[in-house]
Amino acid sequence: MPWSKRPVDISIQPGVASSVAASGAVSNEAGVIELQGVECSYPGSDSPVISDFNLLVKPGEFVSILGRSGAGKTTALRVVAGFEKVSSGYVRVGGQLVGSSFVHVPPDQRRIGLVFQDYALFPHLTVAKNVEFGLKGLPAEERRERIAPVLKMVGMSGYESRYVHELSGGQQQRVAIARALSPNPVALLLDEPFSNLDRQLRAGLRRDIKRIVQETGATTLLVTHDREEALATSDRIAVMGDNSIEQIGTPEEVYQSPVSAAVAKLIGPCELIPGVFRGGVIVTEAGVFPTRLTTDIHMADGQQTLALMRASELEIELADEDDQRTATIEMTEFEGEFTEYSIRLDSGTLLRVRRRAVDEIGVGGRVTVHTRGDSKVIVFPV
Amino acid sequence: MYSPKGVLQGWLSGLGVDRLPEIYGLGGATLVLVLMTYPYVLLTVRGALRRMDPALEEAARVMGYGPVHTFRVVTLPMLRPAVAGGSLLVALYTLSDFGGVALLRYQTFTSTIMIQYESSIDRTLAAVLSLILVAIAVLLLLGEGFTRGRGAYHRSTVGAVRVSQRVDLGRWRWAGATAVGITVLIGLVIPVGVLIQWLVRGLLNDQELLPLLVPARNSLYISLLASVATVLAALPIAILVVRFQSRLSRFFERAIYIGFGLPGVVVALSLVFFGINVARPLYQSIWLLIFAFVVLFLPASVGALRSSLLQVNPRVEEAAQSLGRSQWKVIFSVTVPLVMPGALAGGAMVFLLTMKELPATLILSPIGYRTLSSSIWSAASEAFFAKTAAAALLLVLVAGVPTAYLTLRGHNDGSDQSDRIDEPDMESPSETVEVT
Repeated sequence: MPWSKRPVDISIQPGVASSVAASGAVSNEAGVIELQGVECSYPGSDSPVISDFNLLVKPGEFVSILGRSGAGKTTALRVVAGFEKVSSGYVRVGGQLVGSSFVHVPPDQRRIGLVFQDYALFPHLTVAKNVEFGLKGLPAEERRERIAPVLKMVGMSGYESRYVHELSGGQQQRVAIARALSPNPVALLLDEPFSNLDRQLRAGLRRDIKRIVQETGATTLLVTHDREEALATSDRIAVMGDNSIEQIGTPEEVYQSPVSAAVAKLIGPCELIPGVFRGGVIVTEAGVFPTRLTTDIHMADGQQTLALMRASELEIELADEDDQRTATIEMTEFEGEFTEYSIRLDSGTLLRVRRRAVDEIGVGGRVTVHTRGDSKVIVFPV
Repeated sequence: MYSPKGVLQGWLSGLGVDRLPEIYGLGGATLVLVLMTYPYVLLTVRGALRRMDPALEEAARVMGYGPVHTFRVVTLPMLRPAVAGGSLLVALYTLSDFGGVALLRYQTFTSTIMIQYESSIDRTLAAVLSLILVAIAVLLLLGEGFTRGRGAYHRSTVGAVRVSQRVDLGRWRWAGATAVGITVLIGLVIPVGVLIQWLVRGLLNDQELLPLLVPARNSLYISLLASVATVLAALPIAILVVRFQSRLSRFFERAIYIGFGLPGVVVALSLVFFGINVARPLYQSIWLLIFAFVVLFLPASVGALRSSLLQVNPRVEEAAQSLGRSQWKVIFSVTVPLVMPGALAGGAMVFLLTMKELPATLILSPIGYRTLSSSIWSAASEAFFAKTAAAALLLVLVAGVPTAYLTLRGHNDGSDQSDRIDEPDMESPSETVEVT
């Protein structure tokens, strides 16, 4: 049975989070998308692409999976959509078990809207026919009635009879979103949706997608390698390590308290420099800084650690003659709101410092590095 | 007609040419086979060139590669599957060709098999020779498999493909036109000219032209049925081969190509055996004939569908599935419309091949059922050159017009799909002459 036959509500009105509640399949305790200890490997390969993968997306939530390319995040998405079978673990969509080592519900019965990285619009169909594609099973008139509001929502009214190759990349993207949303899916999956668009278009479209998702109340899972994208759009971010999720939390939580060096590197620009932990402070070649731990591991005195240095949390001062740990300013970049300093430590390591103050520290100057205000440096065990 | 004292020499005698170089033997057979088979490579390469993204070549040029170097490192590798596929068809065709080499008195496997079949009661030797032919075909197929490699040939990026820019050859354009012109002259203009000359000469001598309308209708009917049947049989195979790659599916694909390497006469005779002993009701009906054509020409349409399918982004099919269509429905609502150009190209190829096929037609046609090619054969055996020419010209016309239509259609609305596939060219009609 085409899943659009189910009694669903596509009232697309600002602020009405309707679809999930109306579809009735999901209670508030259960996640709309739930992956439990999922392992998935491609045929002919020994090492799994994802393993022990756990994720729970709640109704109406917007969750991003952030990871570098090759980490297996697209595979995770394809597992949810049903294009990859899992070798162990459980996949639930809308509270129903759709994937495990013994169950595999095919993609066409999962009621999932998927926007592909390359959009994958049907080149032989018009925009209207593309959007109508998932509505098969509804009477013709009802189908037509549903196309107009969906296209209006994505700002593509008036393009109904165009073919895909007659659209720009951004327009194709909008049609792909309209196509995925028109059958009122249980969840919307977005695979690197902005990676094929230029920067200016990206920010605008990002806001549009967020607005559209809020309007429809769709539960959304986005996959991206772009931290700005993940930080700006999501209710929660799941940061992926090599083949499983390392940390999941709100953008603020993950940014403020990354649990590992890998997560820290993915979530924001930073430098990691080695140092020795000594009773609450870390001694590094850049200086001695107060520390903070983001996990409840025990850190012993004298232990080798990595210090997370972020440009916005550092401050520099002109060095005195007798200062021991100094660095040289190599470059300054004025960016309007602030100036970014590239400073070279004597060991050759480069640090970046962002400051608003406009003073006499220029290129070639010897400086010492401090933490800004009362901020503390996050340390990770090596 | 290209013989030392043939028709061509007659035309050229005014220019003082009284003897052409020897045409019989290996050199002549090679020339004729090249002229007969170059369209296979032309069609596949042309299709591949047309859908190649010019940005690839431009990228190489920007990185400092000259035009010749770019052609070598970018264009040729991209054309590799097309060239290999076309060459495979040529090699298999050459293996099984009988008419051309026999006329030029060059002894090959096929002609030996024919002689064995006709001259001896014990057909064991002919069967053994046929099996060796099958073995050679298998070797060729394995060789082609090596050239295929693991690269992807569908575009990975989005956006429409721009049209390639025309290269201005400057002073070289006359040299280029001549080179291309010679092929067309020898392969197309001269054979058709000779046919017309024969026809006119025969008409002037009041030779009787037997009514050719019934054979023409029969040819059209059979060829249409055969091409539809072959494409329908090819579609599941192409989908299996492209979308569900496994050792089994590769073996399947290769096995089908063996049919193309078999001489028509071998397939036809084994089907006669099959018809008499197993499928009695089918014997002496056109269905057995059409089955023979499916066996013989399946690889041609599988090849066209395969290259067409390779360019359909699998994500598009997945998108359809995630929108609630079962895998079966996706095939009919998305895959089939997208490979339609390939299906048409494959169908057109089968249509042409069927039109001019001779041995299977002669052996398997119901008694009294005449097609254009069998009319040509019998008229030529009785030395009615005007009849031969009339039938041959009609064949060129009937086969050429639909193909030309398809080609032109491809040119006109090629814009609506960036992945339009090799529209077939006008097949060289030289073969219709050589078959006799």
